[in-house]
Amino acid sequence: MIELKNVVKKYANGVVAIEDLSLKLNRGELIVLKGVSGSGKSTILSLIAGLSKPSSGDIVVDDKHISKLPDHFAAAFRRDNIGFIFQKYNLISSLSVAENILLPLYPLNLPKEELEPRLQEVLNSLSIEDKRDRKVKDLSGGEQQRVAIARASINNPNIILADEPTANLDEKLSLAFIKMLEGLKASNRTVVVATHDPLFFDLESVDRVIEIRDGKVV
Amino acid sequence: MTLLVALVATTLFIADSMKAEYKQDIQTAPDIVVSAQKALRYKTIDETQAARFLEIDGVSNAIPRVWGEYYFAKGNVRFKIVGLDEFENSTNSTLNRLRDRLSYDTNMMLLSPKVKAILNKNYYKDYFNFILQDGTLLRVNISQKSIAIPSIRDEYLIVMPKELARKIFAYADNEATDIAVSVKNSEEIAFSARKIAALLGNAKISIKDDLIVEYEQMYNYRSGFFLTIFIITFFTFFVIIYDRLSGLNSEQKREIGILKAIGWRVEDVLKTKLYEGLIISLFSYSLGIILAMVYTFIFNGGILKNIFLSSSRLLEHVPLQFHLDYATLALLFLISVPLYICATIIPSWIAATVDADEVMR
Amino acid sequence: MIFLTPEVSVIYILNTLFALFSTIAFVISLKIVRGYDREATTSKQYTLEKQSYLSATIIKYIFYIKIPLMIFFIFTLDKISFILPGAMCGAGVVNASIYAIPLLFLKLLNLYLFAYWLVMQKEDMRKEEQPYVITKFQLFLILYTLFIVEIILETLFFGSIDIKSVVDCCGAIFSHSDDTYLSLLLHMDRVWLLSIFYAVYGVMFLSYFLKQRYIFALINLLFLMIALIALIAFFGTYIYELPTHHCPFCLLQKDYHYIGYLLYLLLFLGTFNGLVVAMIGFDKDDIIKRERYALFFNSLYTFVVTLYPLLYFYKNGVWL
Repeated sequence: MIELKNVVKKYANGVVAIEDLSLKLNRGELIVLKGVSGSGKSTILSLIAGLSKPSSGDIVVDDKHISKLPDHFAAAFRRDNIGFIFQKYNLISSLSVAENILLPLYPLNLPKEELEPRLQEVLNSLSIEDKRDRKVKDLSGGEQQRVAIARASINNPNIILADEPTANLDEKLSLAFIKMLEGLKASNRTVVVATHDPLFFDLESVDRVIEIRDGKVV
Repeated sequence: MTLLVALVATTLFIADSMKAEYKQDIQTAPDIVVSAQKALRYKTIDETQAARFLEIDGVSNAIPRVWGEYYFAKGNVRFKIVGLDEFENSTNSTLNRLRDRLSYDTNMMLLSPKVKAILNKNYYKDYFNFILQDGTLLRVNISQKSIAIPSIRDEYLIVMPKELARKIFAYADNEATDIAVSVKNSEEIAFSARKIAALLGNAKISIKDDLIVEYEQMYNYRSGFFLTIFIITFFTFFVIIYDRLSGLNSEQKREIGILKAIGWRVEDVLKTKLYEGLIISLFSYSLGIILAMVYTFIFNGGILKNIFLSSSRLLEHVPLQFHLDYATLALLFLISVPLYICATIIPSWIAATVDADEVMR
Repeated sequence: MIFLTPEVSVIYILNTLFALFSTIAFVISLKIVRGYDREATTSKQYTLEKQSYLSATIIKYIFYIKIPLMIFFIFTLDKISFILPGAMCGAGVVNASIYAIPLLFLKLLNLYLFAYWLVMQKEDMRKEEQPYVITKFQLFLILYTLFIVEIILETLFFGSIDIKSVVDCCGAIFSHSDDTYLSLLLHMDRVWLLSIFYAVYGVMFLSYFLKQRYIFALINLLFLMIALIALIAFFGTYIYELPTHHCPFCLLQKDYHYIGYLLYLLLFLGTFNGLVVAMIGFDKDDIIKRERYALFFNSLYTFVVTLYPLLYFYKNGVWL
């Protein structure tokens, strides 16, 4: 369960991204945050992930007050509970597919025997096992997208956050992506998508569409 | 950075190698050398004193030595002449070998290749005429063999029977250049030296140990040079590294932002960057050492060698011995690696504490 | 600065580096101690948080380099002893300067304190509430002062060595016939000394089983002192196989297979773990783990050190 209580986020340059926002998201829901660029929806995702701290207000994720956690623990929490899918995939192009997917787990120094089966599972579920050792920069857009999702799910997170995931995709790939997100939701994960892509607004699987404008819920 | 390590390493290696060689040479020197003085200036010593030294407990041998220099005008060079007695045992095994090669009944001397060459140039092939103190000439035959032992210091060396040397230096029968004393137990050298001093009031007594210490000190003084090199190195490190690492480009920032977004903590990023630094510096260190070794021992030290050799007129094309001093290696390590890592601490930290969400907009 | 061998220069350079960086850490620590507030969401707080990482890294770095540096320092002392007339090992060099003993003592103290700081840091980072977040920086403020004093002492020490004046070698310093405190200790009855030593060792185990961690720590402190005294007064003589050789430095030389390094290392590891259980609020399991480490290393130390006289007796049939 994700809850934002009276959150305000002001940046150093004076820009107020979020103003007195309160939100409650339940487990297993597929939520769409609708709004144009700069409306603050990406900031909300950042806050939920613990990537940034609010200027005031409280954020509770799965009963943890992550806004109060020092970076050290917030990052650990993020690593264990959250999967992030970015707009431009944000993969590290010089690394291979397998390396990219395992990246979140690197600092844990887990033994190979533990990592291997997880990697296999994720590769299989997205049908990319044959690309495992290829360098990411050699892959097509659709394949990169799948690697991004794989990376976001390697740590078995309860929450998936996606920031404008279909912005660079054509309709076919976008629909494929939506299918994969629905698959994730099916395994009782909370999925929050920040987007202004209209494809998302009329989906059956979407539980709620929340519109954000100028840092406030409409 | 590798170059810098190599530079410093080379100088230290050369120093060590020469120190080691010098120490080795010192070992063959006599434990105590006693020479006479008049008005604190050098004077020949009476060789009958040697018998008195032998009476001291612990002294195993006391040999009067005859050696000195002879100026060869035509070639504008000084020869070092060492006189050897057929039945005397020197502490220097090389000299002993040479002694066996001399023939004592004919008028014959052994030359080092350089002496032979220069005499040859001046048309002295089979014999040479020494000009004695009183103006007369002494003709000495030149042996067919020559001294073929590589040793830095004795380049213009002539070895001949003692009597001949005496004549050339115009020594009286009982005169000697100095007396070489050997002491059985090395711990007792200093003590025996004091006893000798008690016997001969105003003699000059040099002890082997002192020489070693003196030489060490000389090298350490030369380290004044090193200090300068160190300081330069020190600053260069910082300059290079700060220049390289500060100012993360946006690509790097982005990557770190990604890492943090997927769950890397500040420490994880820091650790990675510091390990990176460690590996680079270790690698440079090893490479630097290897380069220095190659330079010193295969290419013979080149220019840097001259820093040491300038104070004594020494040969250049003598191969430096291979000598690895662990202490030097440790020293080099302590200069290079910690410095490098130190310089990377702040840049790594700046990188690691990049604000992830700002970076990803 | 009279002394400029390459070794000493390296030490000076590294010390300068340390001084510089530890000052940075000090400034940060000061700021943190004054203004750190976990609950605050101001950008000042975030900056402080980030800087705390820098501080921690610097301190870790200094500690990890300090260890080989200490070994190097001792080695340098040894090397200097060859140049100093009369000195045959580090002890002579120590005798050559009045700064030496406080320097050594401080170095040892700082080693313990730095290690303590690192353990505190590790514990702090494990728990979300970060119980030591301010304490550790307060500790560092003290540590910094001591560290700077150490560096100053070290500089003075090397500067004050006069290569022309003769010093005593350890034979004279630790002899039986002086009336310094040292010789008083050395004069102590062998049987008493050994009994106390082994008794303390035994009580250590007792306090472990009785789960008395504060007593355990106290005993470790005692053990440290007794072990050192016993080493100089008794066990050392068996390592040297000479009843009058009481020097703690000669142990570190090649002639004795550098056994000194091992012994001092074991002693440090053992007593440090023993002391730290009382100073940090570890969880139960950790306390036991650390106590076990302490016992292990201290036992190893005792074992090695007891071996020497026993071997001697075995080889020669008599005691010294």
